[in-house]
Amino acid sequence: MRQTYGKSLPGMKLNDLAGKLIVVEGTDGAGRTTQINLLKSWLEEMGHAVLDTGIARSTLAADGIHRAKEGNSLGRATHSLFYATDFIDRLEHEIVPALRAGFIVLTDRYIYSLMARASVRGMDSAWLRSMYSVALVPDAVFYLRIGIEDLISRVIFSSGFDYWESGMDVFPGKDMYESFRKYQVALLAEFERLSMEFNFDVIDGSADAKTVLIELQARILRLLGTDGRREYRSRAAGRPVAPIPFRIEKRPAASWQSTNDNELDALLYAAFVNAQTNVAASTFRALNKAR
Amino acid sequence: MDITDSIHHGRFGPFEIFHPVDQPLFKSTRDDSGYPGRLFVVEGIDGSGKSTQLSLLHKWLEAKGYGVVFSQWNSSPLVKDTTKLGKKKKLLTAGTFSLIHATDFADRTERSILPLLKAGAVVLCDRYIYTAFARDVARGMDRDWVRGLYGFAVKPTVAFYFRVPLETAISRLVTARDGFKFYEAGMDLGLSDDPTESFRLFQGRILEEYEKMIPEFGLNVIDATLPVEVQQSQVRQIAKRHLEKAKELRVRP
Repeated sequence: MRQTYGKSLPGMKLNDLAGKLIVVEGTDGAGRTTQINLLKSWLEEMGHAVLDTGIARSTLAADGIHRAKEGNSLGRATHSLFYATDFIDRLEHEIVPALRAGFIVLTDRYIYSLMARASVRGMDSAWLRSMYSVALVPDAVFYLRIGIEDLISRVIFSSGFDYWESGMDVFPGKDMYESFRKYQVALLAEFERLSMEFNFDVIDGSADAKTVLIELQARILRLLGTDGRREYRSRAAGRPVAPIPFRIEKRPAASWQSTNDNELDALLYAAFVNAQTNVAASTFRALNKAR
Repeated sequence: MDITDSIHHGRFGPFEIFHPVDQPLFKSTRDDSGYPGRLFVVEGIDGSGKSTQLSLLHKWLEAKGYGVVFSQWNSSPLVKDTTKLGKKKKLLTAGTFSLIHATDFADRTERSILPLLKAGAVVLCDRYIYTAFARDVARGMDRDWVRGLYGFAVKPTVAFYFRVPLETAISRLVTARDGFKFYEAGMDLGLSDDPTESFRLFQGRILEEYEKMIPEFGLNVIDATLPVEVQQSQVRQIAKRHLEKAKELRVRP
């Protein structure tokens, strides 16, 4: 039977959700949307019914979120809760009914992106995990991992910088590039942590779209096939789903003997994130001094 | 309990967990350990007379020269349209009902309640987190989940609970207005097809939740069947005790 991360919403039956819930996660520029579009037509060609959904697309909250982001006074708790409202509306009105009808649900980001963005804005990890404990545990989370350099070039030559994607609210800087870089590095560090905590299936997103697609297709076929599915399950079975309160993965303190400035940047922001959970506050201070 | 005792140790504190990432965590362990302002909230079912009592307290505080700000439940301009849409089109489930109200509350906390308390104002709230706890749990949400959701809230200096028997409240309401709204009567729960009957059943559940919260959160119970003047004098006496200790309150210009 399908599980949630610890708590369930009233009236949500979990025993007849026959479909598959597949999450594609990644930062901006990781190629999520491209891959989801390609996967959707591929799956439909094979005869599967597919629902694709993503952040801020709910009937209830999508307009409200867009309007709120236009202003300049959206606080971080409000930000986080608005997105949670959007998520729960889609969970109850789209994802669950589709799974019940046997659809494959492809979701462009899930609770992990929402948690990462809120964490980087300083929201409490335990609070976020408690809030999202009502989410369904997906059948697979494919994390398209790219590095900061790929990320930057992909974003600037497509959408350009945006106030929120640049984290201007949390890393105000002299210009958007500076903020963008710091914010995205902090996000990447947070995704690394989430990747371990939630057992992501990591895929190299820096490869060309076709290579990534082939990789995804192979893994999805394994997930859908009876044998492959059992194999996947047994792999996942090693890590039972943690009920709340979640243990935060403690990462080993980052070594900072690196001379490369970019690496130091990455370490610094990884330490920032760690500092929030009081894991490596001292590393963080040491790094800050070293600069 | 006084805000200065509870703010960093209470169940709902510290709000300071939401420090920006570039500041060390728990910087707020400063010795004065609290906000200069005071936060008074009123709770109770519809028809308990809590809003009347709060507006009388408001008048009195203003007359005394305090800088007073009032914040109403469900009034954030940022979230208003979404809540209205959800209610009008009946899109809200127990889960989204809970979350949209938490979003509204977060916006008011971040934009007004918290900064005002830091600035030394007296903040008055008509309904607070206890309303959400009572209503959401009456709708079937998990008790601990809802309490966790509001973990960012500032613990009030005093939470007044206006306790009134269900029948008294209903008789006050029925004479005052015609009919109940869909969500207000808990019609989404399918308890009864008749709005008045549904309202009765739903408010009964809410009342049970309030009763449980009295010891859990140390709500200050006021007997709402007493004459208005008697209740008000009790409220003022309690408020006065907490204002005397406050040294840094702002006065009205």
